Amino acid sequence: MTAIVELTDVTKRYVQGSVEVMALRGLTFTVEAGEFTAIVGPSGSGKSTALNLIGALDRPTGGVVKVEGRNLAEMGARALSQLRRDRIGFVFQAYNLMPVLTAYENAEMVLALQGVDPAERRERVVKLLADVGLAGLEQRRPEELSGGQQQRVAIARAIASDPAIVLADEPTANVDSETAESLLALMEALNQRRGVTFLFSTHDARVMERARRIIRIVDGRVESDEKKPAHPQQPGTGVPAG
Amino acid sequence: MAWRNVWRNRRRSVVTISAMAFGLWVMILYAALMDGYVQGMERGILDLEVGDLQIFPEKFRENPTLWTTIEDPDALLEPLVSQGFSASGRVLAFGLVAAGEASAGVSFRGVDVERDATITKVQDEVARGEWLDPADPKGVVIGRRLAKMLAVDVGDELVVLTQGIDGAMAYDLYNVRGVLRGIADATDRGGVFLNESALRELVSVPEGVHQIIVRRPADLALDLAAGEVRGVAPDLDVQTWKQLMPTVASLLESTQGIMLAMFVVMYVAIGMLILNAMLMAVFERIRELGVMKALGVGPFEVLRLILLECGIQVGIAVAAGLSLSLPALAYLSTSGIDLGALAGTSVLGIAMEPIWRAAVSTGVFTKPVTVLVVIVGIAVLYPACKAAAVQPVEAMRHH
Ligand SMILES: Nc1ncnc2c1ncn2[C@@H]1O[C@H](COP(=O)(O)OP(=O)(O)OP(=O)(O)O)[C@@H](O)[C@H]1O
Ligand SMILES: [Mg+2]
Repeated sequence: MTAIVELTDVTKRYVQGSVEVMALRGLTFTVEAGEFTAIVGPSGSGKSTALNLIGALDRPTGGVVKVEGRNLAEMGARALSQLRRDRIGFVFQAYNLMPVLTAYENAEMVLALQGVDPAERRERVVKLLADVGLAGLEQRRPEELSGGQQQRVAIARAIASDPAIVLADEPTANVDSETAESLLALMEALNQRRGVTFLFSTHDARVMERARRIIRIVDGRVESDEKKPAHPQQPGTGVPAG
Repeated sequence: MAWRNVWRNRRRSVVTISAMAFGLWVMILYAALMDGYVQGMERGILDLEVGDLQIFPEKFRENPTLWTTIEDPDALLEPLVSQGFSASGRVLAFGLVAAGEASAGVSFRGVDVERDATITKVQDEVARGEWLDPADPKGVVIGRRLAKMLAVDVGDELVVLTQGIDGAMAYDLYNVRGVLRGIADATDRGGVFLNESALRELVSVPEGVHQIIVRRPADLALDLAAGEVRGVAPDLDVQTWKQLMPTVASLLESTQGIMLAMFVVMYVAIGMLILNAMLMAVFERIRELGVMKALGVGPFEVLRLILLECGIQVGIAVAAGLSLSLPALAYLSTSGIDLGALAGTSVLGIAMEPIWRAAVSTGVFTKPVTVLVVIVGIAVLYPACKAAAVQPVEAMRHH
């Protein structure tokens, strides 16, 4: 197995005015291809901070963050921007989508940025939206979609460019628990059928249960890291969006 | 995407675009009217009355006498013409004209018809009858008010009385060949144009002129032109029209100053509006811009997006402002504003035209549009850079 993400003794200090916060205090773990991993921990423990560092959205105060073997500290802003575009998929908690673009256009966005030719783009995006259970809703604007459907579009966009890893910071925090279940089922299916590597943070115990590995962070350090055997039950796919 | 972004806050965009379009419309009409006013005044002054520069014999202006002349005008005219100027000499005299019971003091202007046409357009301002013709030595053209005062019109006879250079009374009969439109007070009330040779004969001044009127090449600034003319005529009294008519000159200058001030005020207001609108457009979307940056959209692409959004609005505003200004300009430049009660009055001795018309030139459009684009470009720079510099992590901490 190849390590997609490698964190070694990562620290992050935020300074806001005279207040200093040590958000991460020596975080070390690796994520390998094909994993379906949850980062959990109390509020303020550093989950979002860790995901932001892995996603090259921020730089650590100390330690080394590597994505696909490349040390992010050695890359310039432009290279990081390209890395995000080509190798990392993002799903945020909410307001993920461009409100003026349709579901189709949102899902297509990263491919368009990459300069993928329109015909191929069209083919991939239509299939992708069908895969996430949104066939027929391509022309809707985000405001015409439910919260769960919006997150499905975000997931479609995140995996559209076949990234090495999809980072999802509390992707289910803004939807009801039933919808959360179905989103997780979708992510799981994508993980199993397409081999997409997921690293997501969550507070939700039911969501946690679906993960095959749970990294628990407390006070900016890994407190526990458990792997479960492969999930016995067959994941539900194509569940209508919640 | 930029196009759709412009319309997401429809009301704000409509207000912004309307304000820009309205501002542009006002500035275009204002510029055209001001140009029309200034051109009208300048034409009254420069084309019909004084020219750009005048050369007098030394002391003539303090004490205009027949024998104070520029003795050899050709020696000046030739070098001036070869340097690109137009110039023509005039013989001047004062006297009395009478018709029936009425009489009036007048100034005679003896002109070399062919040459004078290169320095004045007064020949185009004949309201009735015709301009001078060397073949008609007894024909004279007189000012509008003078004709009224004497109750004469084209074809009527005028008795002319003056003093010759020898001090003897000179007396002759002439015919009114033409009556001018309103030009300037002095000409309207007391201007009598006649052939140079006829006036020379009347006042017995066989050679020399009292005044040379000079027009400069269009691309030569007045001060530089004055310098060149002084070089050609070092011993003579060279005056620019601004020196000859200082109050009019300062009036016209202040008109342009007022116009500039109007422009500045108007455009500063528009600039602030744009700055504000685009700042709002950026800040209310800061999270969205953060997401874009996170997805790998580069700062220049964000900058371009914001500039494009602004550009679309300016484009619509320019199109609207221009197309709305066309019918208004068409009206103002043909029908114009009827000054009604003011008609026939004069400002500082220059006849106001009864109808104030706009002057339409490309500058009337290009200047306001250019200034608008530049001001908006400056105003949008800050919000656009702000947007380009958005840090995804911070942007997404905004709820
Ligand atoms: N940009 C920032 N400036 C200052 N402090 C910050 C910043 N971002 C995070 N922090 C602080 O760092 C610590 C870790 O924050 P982080 O958002 O990573 O926690 P979290 O585990 O994601 O919490 P939650 O479960 O509430 O999302 C918190 O104390 C937080 O207040
Ligand atoms: Mg968090």
